[in-house]
Amino acid sequence: MRHPSPTRAWATLIALSAGSTALAVAVTGGGLAGAPLAAAGAAILTLAWAKARTILNAYLRLEEAPAFRRGFGLTLALYAALLLGLYLAG
Amino acid sequence: MDEARTPFDDLPGDLMIWVLIVSELLVFGAGLAAFLAVRLTDPAGFAAAQDHLHRAGAGFNTLVLVTSGWLAALGARAVEVGHIARARWQLAAAAALGLVFLAIKGVEYADKAAQGIGVETHPFFTFYYLITGFHAAHVAAGVLVLLLVALRGRPREVEAGAAFWHMVDLVWVLVFPVIYLLR
Repeated sequence: MRHPSPTRAWATLIALSAGSTALAVAVTGGGLAGAPLAAAGAAILTLAWAKARTILNAYLRLEEAPAFRRGFGLTLALYAALLLGLYLAG
Repeated sequence: MDEARTPFDDLPGDLMIWVLIVSELLVFGAGLAAFLAVRLTDPAGFAAAQDHLHRAGAGFNTLVLVTSGWLAALGARAVEVGHIARARWQLAAAAALGLVFLAIKGVEYADKAAQGIGVETHPFFTFYYLITGFHAAHVAAGVLVLLLVALRGRPREVEAGAAFWHMVDLVWVLVFPVIYLLR
């Protein structure tokens, strides 16, 4: 079976991390408040969810087990939604 | 006689390492959810406390850990195809980056101590030390695991060791944004 490329996963993780950092810089620069601040927070959590999925699927090889990939993916999505709800409630 | 296949046979790696991974994810997941729940009681206090953290250092540590995970993944694939020497170097490099992560974390903790910030300074820091400290302990354990499996060079052990390291990586990509970035 062909394995997902670790190098492609690494590049994806670096790009997603750069996106999180750019958002954090915008937020801590004080230029955002109210709805845009909440949207930036939601985007940061979405990027974290994408990074976690990449690690599960490529590094931990869940791409090779579609049923488990879907199960872990759904659970992770529900957990990310919980974190997002708690964040937005604040 | 062949044993009957079970759905768990499709999982990459040993079932027990997945039991460990899920257990750890549940513990850290509960910790992060509790952190955000307590934050609801004092959002301004949590934001002010967060300003004492060094986001750039933690961001750099994310790159360090992600790159370390990449090297561990390469090492696991190398040992599968019999490239033991290459796998050993890749796993040793992954472990070395784990030590870099711990060194930066140590500087971060020393900086907090110099500012007089401790576990009881604010609920934010109680969670901060609990979650990042527990994670750092896993990084330290992971470094030892990577070095041990690199030394032995056995494919199943390397796969399990790398999986543990990826779990540590996975936890950090959730801890970093929740503790350091969310305002």
